[in-house]
Amino acid sequence: MEPSQGGAGDRELMARLAAGDREALAPLMEKHYRRLYRIALAYLRQPDDALDVVQEAFVKAFQSAPKWDGSAEAGPWLARITVNLSIDRWRRNRRRAQTFTPLAESDHAASLADAGPSPDRRVQGREAGERLAVALRGLPERQRAVVVLRHYQDMSLEEIAQALGMSLGTVKSSLHRALARMRVGLAGARP
Amino acid sequence: MTLASLLAGAKHLRRRRRVGWLAAGVLEGREREEALAHLEACGRCRAEHDALRAVVAAMEADPVREAEPGVPLAFLVARVEREVERSLAPAGRPRWWLVALPAAAAILAAVALAPRLVGPLRRAPEAARAEIPPAEASPLVTEDALARIERNLAREHAVRYLSEAGEVLVTVAATGADCDRAEERLDVGRAPERSRELLERRALAVGAGAGDEAVASARGVLDDVELALREVADLPSCVKRADVERVRREVDERQLLMRIRLMTRELEG
Repeated sequence: MEPSQGGAGDRELMARLAAGDREALAPLMEKHYRRLYRIALAYLRQPDDALDVVQEAFVKAFQSAPKWDGSAEAGPWLARITVNLSIDRWRRNRRRAQTFTPLAESDHAASLADAGPSPDRRVQGREAGERLAVALRGLPERQRAVVVLRHYQDMSLEEIAQALGMSLGTVKSSLHRALARMRVGLAGARP
Repeated sequence: MTLASLLAGAKHLRRRRRVGWLAAGVLEGREREEALAHLEACGRCRAEHDALRAVVAAMEADPVREAEPGVPLAFLVARVEREVERSLAPAGRPRWWLVALPAAAAILAAVALAPRLVGPLRRAPEAARAEIPPAEASPLVTEDALARIERNLAREHAVRYLSEAGEVLVTVAATGADCDRAEERLDVGRAPERSRELLERRALAVGAGAGDEAVASARGVLDDVELALREVADLPSCVKRADVERVRREVDERQLLMRIRLMTRELEG
C-alpha cells in the first residue's frame, strides 16, 4: 500500500473532523486524495468519474466522521468509502448506458492515456489499459474491488478484508476467482 | 477410482488454488515454498501460474497505478468544502441574517428618521414642543448603530461576491466535461454568464464597503478576483482545453481560492 504517513496524524485529523472542524479536511485530503483517486480510477477507468468519487468520498468522510471508530485506521476506512462510491457510480453509469450510447472504447483509452505519468508509459499503457478495462469490467463488483485494492494499492489480504468488511476467506476466494476470470477476459480481448 | 487417487485429486485442487494466490503475491512462508515446489512437479499448474502472472503483470504496468488527478489539490478542496457547506445548510432556507440584516436596517433607519419626517407635519404648540427633546439629543438609533449596520451589510455584500466568484472559478478550473471531443473543448456551463453578472455587482460589493477597514483590506483579493472573472467572462460556454488550463494556472499561481476562503472568513468575523 502507498504510505499514508501514519495513523496518528490521521486519527487526530479524523477526531477534528468528527468535532465538525472543517479545517481538518484540507490536510486529510492532501494525505489521501491521490491514493483514493487511483482506487476510483482503477475501478471506474474514467478520470472525471474518479474525481467526482474522490470529492464525494471526502464529503462523506466529513459527514460520517462522528461515527468513525477512533481505534481504526483512517486509510482503509477512506478506501472503503471510495470503493462503495465507485460501485454506486458504476451502477449509475451502467443504468445510463442502457439508455444512451456508450463511449467508444478508443475514446475511453484516450481519456486514460491522459492519466499516465509519462509519454512512454502512455503509449505502452494505452493498449494494455484498453484490454484491462475490458477484463476488469467483466468482473463482479466485489471481485473487482478486491483486485483493485490488491493490485493497484498493494494492500494485504487482511487490509482488504478490513476495508471491504469481508472475511479473509471471502477475500482469498474472490481474488482467486477474479484473476482466473481476468485471464480468460484478457485472452478474449487480445487482437 | 481408488480412495487414494480421490485424495490425491483433492490435494491437487487445493494446490492449484494456491497457484492463484502465488501469482497474486499473497502467499508467504511455508505455503509459498509448497506452492513453488508443486509448480516444479506440475506442468499444467505452471502454465496456469504463468498465465495468471501475466494478468498481474499487466496490472502492475497499468499507468493508472501512478495516475495524477487532473486538477490541483486546491480545487478539490474547494469543491469538497463547497459541498460540505451545502450539506450543512438546510435546503431551501436562506441564512436568517441575510434576510434579517437588510430588514433590520430598513426598520431602524425608518425609526431614526421618523421624528425628522413627521416633525414638520405636526405643528405642536410652542410650549409642548419645548418639552420634546430634539431627535439629535436622544436618538432611538445612534449614529454608531447605523454605521455598524451599514458596515455589516457592506461586508455581507463582499462575502457573497467573493464566495460566488470562488464558485465560478472552481467550476471553470475543475471542469472535465467534454463538449466537443474532436476540438478538445470543455464545457464550462454558465460560468462566463455568471462572471459577467458578478462583475456588474462588483461596484456594489466594493463601493458599499469603501470606508470599512475589513473590506478595504480585501481590495487586493477583490482586484485579482476581478481580473480572473474578466477572463472567464470573455470565454464561450464550450471552451478550448488550453484556455481552461490557462485560467486554472492563473488561479493556482495567485492562490486565489485560498485567499478568497481566508478573506471571506475574516469578513464574516
